[in-house]
Amino acid sequence: MSKMEAYVETGMLVVGFLLIVAGCYCLIRTYHLLKIIIGVEVAMKAVTMFVILAGFINGKIALAQAFVITVIVIEVVVAVVAVGLAINLYRIYGNMDIRNLRKLKG
Amino acid sequence: MEAVIYICLGLLFICGVLAVMLRSLLKSAIALAGASAILAIIMYLLGSVWAGIFELSVCAGLVTVIFVSAISLSNTDKQDLAKLYEDAKRMSALPAILIICGVVLILIAAKTPFMLPAAVPAAETADNFREIFWNHRQVDIWGQVIVVLTGALTVVALFKERE
Amino acid sequence: MQVIESSTVLIFAVPLVIFLINSLFSKRLAEKFSMGLAYVAPITQIVATAACFVQIAHLKQHDIIISWDLAGAVSMRFAVHTYSLVFLFCIALVSLASIMVANRTVPQKRTGFASLLMMLILGMNGIVMVTDLFSLYVFLEIVGISSFVLIAMFKSETGLEGAFKYLVMSVLASIMILTGLAFIFMQTGSLQYDHLEASALAGQSPTQLVLIYAAMILMIAGFAIKTGAVPFHSWLPDAHQSANTAVSVLLSGIVIKVAGIYGLIVITGFFGKLPGIKLTLFIMGTISIIIGALFALRQSHFKRIVAYSSVSQMGYILLGLSTVSMLGLLGAVAHVFNHATFKSTLFTNAAAVHEQTGTYDINELGGLEKKMGVTSFSSLAAFMSTAGIPPFAGFWSKLLIIMALWSSGARVFAAIALFASIFTAAYFLRLQRKVFFGKLRDQLAGITEIGGSVKLAQIMLTVVTIAAGLLFPFALLYFRGIGLL
Repeated sequence: MSKMEAYVETGMLVVGFLLIVAGCYCLIRTYHLLKIIIGVEVAMKAVTMFVILAGFINGKIALAQAFVITVIVIEVVVAVVAVGLAINLYRIYGNMDIRNLRKLKG
Repeated sequence: MEAVIYICLGLLFICGVLAVMLRSLLKSAIALAGASAILAIIMYLLGSVWAGIFELSVCAGLVTVIFVSAISLSNTDKQDLAKLYEDAKRMSALPAILIICGVVLILIAAKTPFMLPAAVPAAETADNFREIFWNHRQVDIWGQVIVVLTGALTVVALFKERE
Repeated sequence: MQVIESSTVLIFAVPLVIFLINSLFSKRLAEKFSMGLAYVAPITQIVATAACFVQIAHLKQHDIIISWDLAGAVSMRFAVHTYSLVFLFCIALVSLASIMVANRTVPQKRTGFASLLMMLILGMNGIVMVTDLFSLYVFLEIVGISSFVLIAMFKSETGLEGAFKYLVMSVLASIMILTGLAFIFMQTGSLQYDHLEASALAGQSPTQLVLIYAAMILMIAGFAIKTGAVPFHSWLPDAHQSANTAVSVLLSGIVIKVAGIYGLIVITGFFGKLPGIKLTLFIMGTISIIIGALFALRQSHFKRIVAYSSVSQMGYILLGLSTVSMLGLLGAVAHVFNHATFKSTLFTNAAAVHEQTGTYDINELGGLEKKMGVTSFSSLAAFMSTAGIPPFAGFWSKLLIIMALWSSGARVFAAIALFASIFTAAYFLRLQRKVFFGKLRDQLAGITEIGGSVKLAQIMLTVVTIAAGLLFPFALLYFRGIGLL
């Protein structure tokens, strides 16, 4: 591998970590249920990129593609479940505020 | 090619941060779709065409549709939204955090140049996507089938308005 | 070999077929028969597991790979080990108990419950039988998704809240595990178990192991979230308290172990020799034992006490794993089995108490011993086993774990594990005293013992708990005799 390509890979790792930080920060700080799911999705984008990057580095890009397609299918179904929960909570409380979720404590 | 990847990485980063920072949920969802589309381009540039197509159609398309329909179901007045969730105030520390993290990561990367892993033993001979996906990863395909069936059950169980 | 192959086919095919039958027939019809049909899956699985075990004992070979050739192409590979058989048996037993409880506690949406349960069983069976880390992740997500929906499907406020908290933590765990997988994949070029074993740590300089270390930190944290170990336990009591009790039986009885502990078993099997990993697991295990027990002492909700007790008991299993020795693994797997039996007993009792009295609050209960004899006795047996009192099963597995800790040099942790049993006894004595002993309250005078399938489940689980305790040394000797240990 040339030096140039190693820089590209380092750049991808840095951007990926920053996106995960952004997603997790959103997940912790926001009060809106859908915004939490958006934060999670942003972090998932970075993770998908890591898998492809791994395949690119070790020359197993075909295997990495197979992984990523599976990950994408799972990601969508998880998003559907999360949105379903959020909508049901909206039907109960009339808004999507995470501060409603305080029934369980102790 | 490197230059295109750098531009795409920059755009991906901007879209991701916008999806988190934007005050309007609809704009956030669109920024997320943009991030997906740019990720699809990066995948294409790295040589994974099929994964790129999937990312573009499923993540940028389907997920956005899901989000937009959820947002329209729960539409709240814009002023209320800003007042109720205080997103702008609570997110205001993010740029500073990202800059600090970025500087630290770049310093680490400059100190210890990224080590490429040693040569990988040729455990799998086939490097043909079709063969790997349909033959070597059959367990995953069955897993996908079960995931999708569970998703269908989810839609039945959670989305129905009245029983 | 033939027997094992057909057994594994049955283990996967039966739940899938039941799911198809449930969804093919009309809703009204399916609502009537689905719960009865659901019994078929765990019973088949118990029989198939027993058949596999007989065959493995006969072959004296504790690691068998099965390949299915579909359409003549390269096949799907599954593995059956001695300890994955223990997991398969626990899955079947707990699912059986859960269906028995659900017969009473799930009045509506029985088809939905049964179908999702089948998906959960499929996912858990997949986790313990796959031969590839990425496939493990795929089945982990199946377990996760079906658990969220099982918690939320009855649409109570608390159920939705618990499910959402579980979902957020679980997605965080997935992000960590998947990033870890990407790093390992970057280093080794494959995620299959046999390739990992060969190439993971071979001839790498310390700088090149950086990726593996990062992956280990991420994956241990991810699986610890799935296990509900302290400091990642916040979702566990919420989810397990808010779910329908039939679902709590499943979640606390088996899901946290298959999704979390089994993943840790696989990882420590490959990378446990790296320095630092042992210490991480030691510390996490010890903190879980103590914090879980202390939180359990402060609760007044029946199910919440039992849920915090799960956190505490998971700590013992983590301590067993942390020794990275045969003895520790044996103790951990034995404790997984024991915990599956006594924890599902306790949740079944919670369901019985709630069905008969209408409350979970232990301050409103008292003196139920005279009215609900079977429930009281099975609760006593389960709690003696949890606390590790000698003739019961929990004693033997804790003994193995403490022996493994002692012989691996971690004597301080062994001592802590020993003394923390006192806390376990404390919170369960409090529960037992407030609910079953003492004077009967006036408003509870008309209470009767629960009947039907819940009673049957209590009796079944108590018999298994007591039998496991009495037969444990003989079982160990038998395993040793046939060369499986």
